[in-house]
Amino acid sequence: MKNTKLLMTFPVTATSHAMADYRARGGYAALQKALLQMTPQQVTAEVSASGIQGRGGAAFPAGRKWGVVNLNDGQPHYLCANADEGEPGTFKDRWILEHAPHLLLESMLIAAYALQVRNAFVYIRGEFDLPYRRLAAALDEAYREGYAGERILGTEFSCDIVIYRGAGSYVCGEASALITSIEGKRGYPRNRPPRLTVRGLYKRPTVINNVETLSNIAWIITHGGAAFKNVGTEKNPGTRLISISGHINRPGVYEIEIGYPWAKFIYEDCGGIPGGRALKGIIPGGISTKVLTAAEIEPLHLDDKELNAAGSSLGSGGMIIIAEGTCMVRLLQVLLRFYHHESCGQCTPCREGMGWLHRIIDRIVAGEGRPEDIDRLYQISAWNDGTTICGMGDAAGYATSGILNKFRDEFEHYIAHKRSRCGGNLECLRSS
Amino acid sequence: MPEIFINGQSVQAEPNQTVIEAAVANGIEMAYFCWHPQLSIAGNCRICAIQVEGRSWVEIACNMPVSEGLRVQTDSELVNEYRKSVMQLLTLNHPVDCGICDKAGECKLQDYHFQYNGAPSLSRDPKLRLTKFHPLSERIVLDNERCILCSRCVRFTHEVSKSKSLGITKRGDASVVRATEDGSFNDDPYSDNVIDLCPVGALLSRSFFYKSRVWYLQPTPSVCPRCARGCTVQLWHRKPEWKLNALDARHNVSIERVTPLENAAVNGPWICNVGRDLGSFFERPRAEQAMTNGSPVDLPLAIEHARRLIESAKRPIALLSNWGSNEELDAFERALGARFEAFYKIDRVPEPGEVVEDDLLIRADKNPNTAAARTRFAPFEGDAALDDATDLLLVWGEGLDFTRVPRGAQVILLGAWLHTDNAQADVFIPISIQTERRGHYTNFEGVVSAFELCVAKKATVADAEALFAALAAPPGSK
Repeated sequence: MKNTKLLMTFPVTATSHAMADYRARGGYAALQKALLQMTPQQVTAEVSASGIQGRGGAAFPAGRKWGVVNLNDGQPHYLCANADEGEPGTFKDRWILEHAPHLLLESMLIAAYALQVRNAFVYIRGEFDLPYRRLAAALDEAYREGYAGERILGTEFSCDIVIYRGAGSYVCGEASALITSIEGKRGYPRNRPPRLTVRGLYKRPTVINNVETLSNIAWIITHGGAAFKNVGTEKNPGTRLISISGHINRPGVYEIEIGYPWAKFIYEDCGGIPGGRALKGIIPGGISTKVLTAAEIEPLHLDDKELNAAGSSLGSGGMIIIAEGTCMVRLLQVLLRFYHHESCGQCTPCREGMGWLHRIIDRIVAGEGRPEDIDRLYQISAWNDGTTICGMGDAAGYATSGILNKFRDEFEHYIAHKRSRCGGNLECLRSS
Repeated sequence: MPEIFINGQSVQAEPNQTVIEAAVANGIEMAYFCWHPQLSIAGNCRICAIQVEGRSWVEIACNMPVSEGLRVQTDSELVNEYRKSVMQLLTLNHPVDCGICDKAGECKLQDYHFQYNGAPSLSRDPKLRLTKFHPLSERIVLDNERCILCSRCVRFTHEVSKSKSLGITKRGDASVVRATEDGSFNDDPYSDNVIDLCPVGALLSRSFFYKSRVWYLQPTPSVCPRCARGCTVQLWHRKPEWKLNALDARHNVSIERVTPLENAAVNGPWICNVGRDLGSFFERPRAEQAMTNGSPVDLPLAIEHARRLIESAKRPIALLSNWGSNEELDAFERALGARFEAFYKIDRVPEPGEVVEDDLLIRADKNPNTAAARTRFAPFEGDAALDDATDLLLVWGEGLDFTRVPRGAQVILLGAWLHTDNAQADVFIPISIQTERRGHYTNFEGVVSAFELCVAKKATVADAEALFAALAAPPGSK
């Protein structure tokens, strides 16, 4: 199995994030190529041809998103890089921001050229400290070298990039909440329609892409969309950054080609599960994707198509490995505490439902669960399915019903016996 | 004109309408909390759920643009189930303390519970505790436990009153509405509208706090007389069948609260806080006793005295009230217009601290009927009209400085309010106030609005309209 790498192509050193090293790796050649040899339409066409799908979780084709923006509508357009990486288990964008900030900036400038954007934004989560400093330093370097700002590389194209730091809200990673936050308002998601590509930031057409999605653009321009399509699977080309955590010997960020066998990835690349314990299940792409049991995931390849068929998705690539001996009731409690804490409180099903879910699971863990509580958890999840302004209500519902579907017997046991079948510990005890 | 179908019924919609607007405009019932025709779309309550035929999910009507041939259901099984779930969620942490809630009886949450849900709460967990009796401003108390966070009040201060003085703070089910810390909500002259906007009993008027159950009250259409805008209002007072016999009898006749009477031609759905306080304005101490030269007399005797003064006067001048209704001004013109040289005067000027004028409703002219008075009479320009030859002055209403009365002139004063000047007049005749009679005012744009009778006047008080006819009769007549 080949495992082509597009992003993690260089050894991380003390200076590998800086301009000098980036240029030595061939950096900013793609920007030069796009600005000097291509029209904006050609850039968009190349991105469409690459078939790259969004890496933030929704897997929407980037080329289609860009194609909605009408370059001749006489309005300003905006571009936002979504670096508000808040999905628990996901820390892949952090790697790009820390080690390849210029890759993001170059790709953003290319995207800005394709969409004729004068002002682009990076919305970076407030908890990111080193990534923010690295990105800010890289942006300074880019301005100094004339890659950003007025008349880039001597062409007519000008683009300013503004880094906007979030204030710690999970929901602000949702595209419409993100732009509302940039506008200086409370980070509430907006109702669709209108789509953000029609009426987004400051009521103008706005494209919002994940950091990882954007970071692939430089490679696509350098090598062409057709070359990108040769990487990964036919339906889902390219590579994915997988941030792996949980019960795993070598947690971290890995770049894998889409379609890479899951078992090989976990047991060879990541060193398997500590203490030689058996696998209980995994959360494949951030906690908002449905949990898969060991039997379900082990034969699969890391490809959205296969994971979707199994009832889950690669999501944002935040993989959490759960070893045998983990209490799924306690795990769900942790997830629901997070969703309750992060619900923005705008629309009814999520605002009230998250707290309700959390109170029920707290009560079960405290040994005061009732048999009907499981049905209630299902019911509240269903009430949030597709009925909220943004996807957070759905996500919490998927996480809840996903765990209940696969591990219902543990919940029944906990309610009946007022204690966990797994010893009641969330963390697995180290066997060594 | 796109044609859409709601529950199979054909509806002609305007091109830029949403489904809920088309439904409401055509009299089709729609449940909604957060949507309001004058405010932006929030789409947060989710109760206006509809199902597009052929789709297996619900959407919200307030954010769905109409399109030709769109077919939606408001009562499919899916929608009904979903609305029930929204009601379950909205009442999850709602205290359901309707028994002591001022909103009970006109609360959307109550109505929809009976209409769409009816089931007890599925939750067995304790309800969340939030702030009770939070002083949002000097006029408004907020009960956060009752609040369903529809954000109507927040949007009102941002989009209509423009004070931007309300917002939502904290997250999730801990979210609470709060006023900005600079206290600007106190200075918002339209702040009380949020009490009407609130679909539940979260925003409460201090002046109406625990004063009456709303079903004991009846609304009487009226016109706010406090400025030339002439906003149409509803004056709420006790229904006769709920007359209090044992408790404070004042409640039987007082105006307990004032709400806007929606009127696209004048004030839309809003009124200002001055209009909200009409109750206390009308409850100022009344003059109810006729007097001659400061001594109490019966009303007929005072009228007889006045007739003699009118008959013998050589140069009578009348200063008319721009608080008189169109009918009363006409009655004067008809009965006494030939006898008097008549001017209209400005009864009231802005009070200290009162908002003089703004670009929403409030007008600088603090009188209700200047426009009608102006078309009938000349304005009173001050002392120029009052020369020493003046031997009779008929003064109707407030606003005349008695030091300006020419020496040697006798004064007939028609007044509704207790005032030291009343005793200085040769004849003082108490007259009714707006809530004690019917009539019309003409606002500054020429729109004529009607006010109705709330409570009957006392027998010792005269109606100006009848009084003018009586004064025109020769002395000695019945």
